[in-house]
Amino acid sequence: MASLTIDNVKKRYGQTEILKGIDISIEAGEFLILVGPSGCGKSTLMNSIAGLEDVSEGRILIGDNDVTYASPKDRDIAMVFQSYALYPNMTVAENISFGLEMRKVPKAEREAEVQRVADMLQIGHLLKRKPGQLSGGQRQRVAMGRALARRPKMYLFDEPLSNLDAKLRVEMRTEIKKLHQKLGTTIVYVTHDQIEAMTLADRIAVMKDGEVQQLGTPQEIYDNPTNLFVAGFMGSPAMNFIPAKVVEQNGSYALELQASKPTVVPFPKPESLKAYAGKEILLGLRPEMITEPQPHKEGKEFVVTADIDVEVTEPMGADTMVLTRISEAEVNCRCNPAYPAKADETIAMMFDTSKAVAFDKDSGKRIDN
Amino acid sequence: MSNAAKRQTSTLDKVLRVVLYAALLAMAAVYLAPFIVMLLTSLKDVEEIRSGTLLSLPGSLNFDAWSKAWSGACTGSQCEGMAPYFLNSFQIVLPAVAISTLLGALNGYVISHWKFKGSDVFFAALLVGCFIPFQVILLPMARTLGWLGIANTTTGLVMVHVVYGVAFTTLFFRNFYQSIPVELVKAARLDGAGFFTIFYRIILPVSTPIIVVTVIWQFTQIWNDFLFGVAFSGFDTQPVTVALNNLVNTSFGGKEYNVDMAAAIIAALPTLVVYILAGKYFVRGLTAGAVKG
Repeated sequence: MASLTIDNVKKRYGQTEILKGIDISIEAGEFLILVGPSGCGKSTLMNSIAGLEDVSEGRILIGDNDVTYASPKDRDIAMVFQSYALYPNMTVAENISFGLEMRKVPKAEREAEVQRVADMLQIGHLLKRKPGQLSGGQRQRVAMGRALARRPKMYLFDEPLSNLDAKLRVEMRTEIKKLHQKLGTTIVYVTHDQIEAMTLADRIAVMKDGEVQQLGTPQEIYDNPTNLFVAGFMGSPAMNFIPAKVVEQNGSYALELQASKPTVVPFPKPESLKAYAGKEILLGLRPEMITEPQPHKEGKEFVVTADIDVEVTEPMGADTMVLTRISEAEVNCRCNPAYPAKADETIAMMFDTSKAVAFDKDSGKRIDN
Repeated sequence: MSNAAKRQTSTLDKVLRVVLYAALLAMAAVYLAPFIVMLLTSLKDVEEIRSGTLLSLPGSLNFDAWSKAWSGACTGSQCEGMAPYFLNSFQIVLPAVAISTLLGALNGYVISHWKFKGSDVFFAALLVGCFIPFQVILLPMARTLGWLGIANTTTGLVMVHVVYGVAFTTLFFRNFYQSIPVELVKAARLDGAGFFTIFYRIILPVSTPIIVVTVIWQFTQIWNDFLFGVAFSGFDTQPVTVALNNLVNTSFGGKEYNVDMAAAIIAALPTLVVYILAGKYFVRGLTAGAVKG
């Protein structure tokens, strides 16, 4: 177990800069998730941590050791690959013990370690098989077993679940979380799946175009995104971005939307809107903050009820997503399935703006913090 | 109605099938004809050859020509048959195949999994080697061999074949290793394995198909080579192809076609055996990378 410090790491291929100065630091035992769209540099950063790619500038520290120029085997880290990368010619047991063998661990110890890992991951019955004879989920387990066997200082997971089917992915996700809680090891985990990021991480680093957009706890990222990109990337369905006009109201500022009729909603930090008075901004409102009218919220601060024109409804079982159009933007509302919203009808919705955020329309930056 | 139609197509199918097989058999006969003529001729005696036609069957099974070709026929001034040269060929082919295959595997491994600055240029340069005609390098190679002091020796011939073969073997292995995921090598590096350990423990064990392809290819190329053999071999290191040429061109009195044919078959036998034993893997190995994608 060790902390990880990434200090102004840059990576260039010729003229193109893949990583543009990454600064991340996490404590020992933390679960860090690097998330972002394809090509954002998250895999490059992962490979740099592993030592499989050189960095052009900056430092990487594992614990107190500067490993920027250390070879992969001297960094004492293990990695689980998206393709699992199991050695096809070796049995499961040999796969798991290969790293130990390379580190000259005596045979008896190796066998004990294979047994321990196999018990932990419930793959004892597979030990004599070759990877080709395993299912996707089993390969995934073996790949994790291979990483666990060496008891390294840090684990790297490179999109480990993306080759599994949906059901298995959820199961393995829980399993990885349990494993982390049990072992308390430092984990760096790359994914492009924001649900994985939310559920697993202690800290999330949202990346785009070789830069960290925001580093924070899942809840911070969810509630307090620093810009439009982070806000749109995390959450499913995504946060609604509603063009809204800043209007003066009773000496303070509020936002005017075009729902079924023009509607004015309050904003938690009205003073931050001052510079934008009379101009249009983007109001960020999560789907779960636009619901059917709920009696217990009636009359509270930041709660406004207004009519909307329903375009489509998407029942999801637990909730029904109601799609509407507000100020020309498509907006998702999360409603109780019992609420009788029907396509092409007009119905009342409750807007709760207590957690609303505001973005500059042009730069995409947060206005209110 | 539908039944009748079905029956009609099935008769048509049968006819087409017969036509297909007839065509295939005809082609096979065309391809096999020279070999059959050789085989038949080698089993006749000189009298029969003179009186009969090419395809007439021998009156009795007569292996005299074979034993003469193997151990008694004259190649130039020596009359020891093909046997010593057969051995010469093996002494050239076995090390040359082994070394060029191993070097090709190492090259391919480096080019596909340990890319370095200029490795693509290196590979392109190696590829050019595949397109250089034999004749072009005869003189420079003769100078080089002389300078190295291994002219007219088996070692010299082995070296020539290795140098010439590495371009092809590298190409084969590189293309095959390209289909091995890079993660495999990365995982092994993180596990603490070094360059040669990864090659030996991870890469080579999955290389069987391409090793078979390369060995067959190199074996046939080197065994069948005549030009390098005749240019760079010494008097007692001549390969079997050169000996065959000498045997056929040496005649005292009448031409012994039966002995010539037997000698030719003997010279071709090893490649034939290799193909029959491993031909299946050859085709499979050639297409392995393509199917995997």
